[in-house]
Amino acid sequence: MSRLIHFCHFLVNSDYFVGNIRAMSQFDFQTLEDLLAGTPTEPRHLLPFLQRTQEKFRHLPREALLAAAAHFSLPASRVFAVASFYKAFSLVPKGERLIAVCQGTACHLRGGPQVAASLEKRLGLKIGQTSADGRYGLESVNCLGACALAPVATVDGAVRGHLTPGRAAELL
Amino acid sequence: MSAPIETMVSGTINGRTVAVAKDTPLLQAARDNGVGIPTLCHHPALPPDGNCRLCLVEVGGKLAASCLYPLREDGFSVVTESGKIAGARAFVVKLLLSRAPEDECLLRLAALYQTAPDPRLAGDEDGCLRCGRCVRACHAAGSDAVALVGRGRSRKVAGAFLEPPADCAGCLACARVCPTGAVKFRETKNSRSIWGKEFSLAPCPVCGRTVGTPEELARAGLDPGGALCPECRRRAMAGALLALPENAAPKRG
Repeated sequence: MSRLIHFCHFLVNSDYFVGNIRAMSQFDFQTLEDLLAGTPTEPRHLLPFLQRTQEKFRHLPREALLAAAAHFSLPASRVFAVASFYKAFSLVPKGERLIAVCQGTACHLRGGPQVAASLEKRLGLKIGQTSADGRYGLESVNCLGACALAPVATVDGAVRGHLTPGRAAELL
Repeated sequence: MSAPIETMVSGTINGRTVAVAKDTPLLQAARDNGVGIPTLCHHPALPPDGNCRLCLVEVGGKLAASCLYPLREDGFSVVTESGKIAGARAFVVKLLLSRAPEDECLLRLAALYQTAPDPRLAGDEDGCLRCGRCVRACHAAGSDAVALVGRGRSRKVAGAFLEPPADCAGCLACARVCPTGAVKFRETKNSRSIWGKEFSLAPCPVCGRTVGTPEELARAGLDPGGALCPECRRRAMAGALLALPENAAPKRG
């Protein structure tokens, strides 16, 4: 707990805090603290920490990156470099229900683009976007290795196969 | 002092037998032996990073970045100029030109390796080669204010969250090592701006000449308000030495 207090102190003293008090008060520090609690401080544990944070928060909140920098004694620029490098990480919140439509070779041939277009139309989103209410996120993926089920999509990581533009509605 | 004989390794560079201390980077071994290899991201005061790929040479017939290749074993056989190497370097120069098509050094290399910018790669001419010299210089200076962020085509040098970096001391180490002058800054008599941050400049309390930003003076353990400029510091030190009793003029008689 003392680390959390120390970290809050650090945030209050950083330029970022000024003007963001409302946003900060809503931030779930307890979850962040729990994620850091069992994490060793060697820098090699940064990636697993970011993966768990991405899973919990559906993105990498600024607070988590700053906390990671303090926890692992790394410069914030380095933590940000790692966070911005991997496609698995997002710096803005992803939708609660994340749909990833495969656009790999087999899925492409079997109508993947039409499935994607159908979902784009139904959700009013483009691939890569998140709905304004935060409920849906639409993405593309390049191959899931489930080509026998083409065209496929994943819904929160679960594979759904043999899709058609019409059946795409079932994913929502 | 030269290394003990058992830690030396020997092999050939362009057919000539050379012996170097074990783990010497190939680039350095070549240059120490009078063999030139072109580089852009290499800086003698900074750790090698292998980013520009211009220092490619053939080691035992395979291409390797010489700045990152430590010579570990006897019998290495290095070739620094060949058709294969020239082709690889030409391609590297072509790619680098897409970032800095007007850089004098790159244009000389383009003439040497007979290559030109690829029009299909147009649109990214920000002058920055992503060589990371500035990032390494910032680390060496003690700040780590900037890093190479993002990936692929959108990779660039920036501070955390793409914001003016909180820990930048405005020391210009990054701008001074940039091979293409892509790290931009502005400076007047009393102020300096870099990476979107504004700094004041502290004058030397004796002669009034600009010494640096208060932040960089503090980082160096100097008085941010009143550090002497190098010349005045030398003068002050010389004065202090002269004032020592053992330096007093010897008495006559």
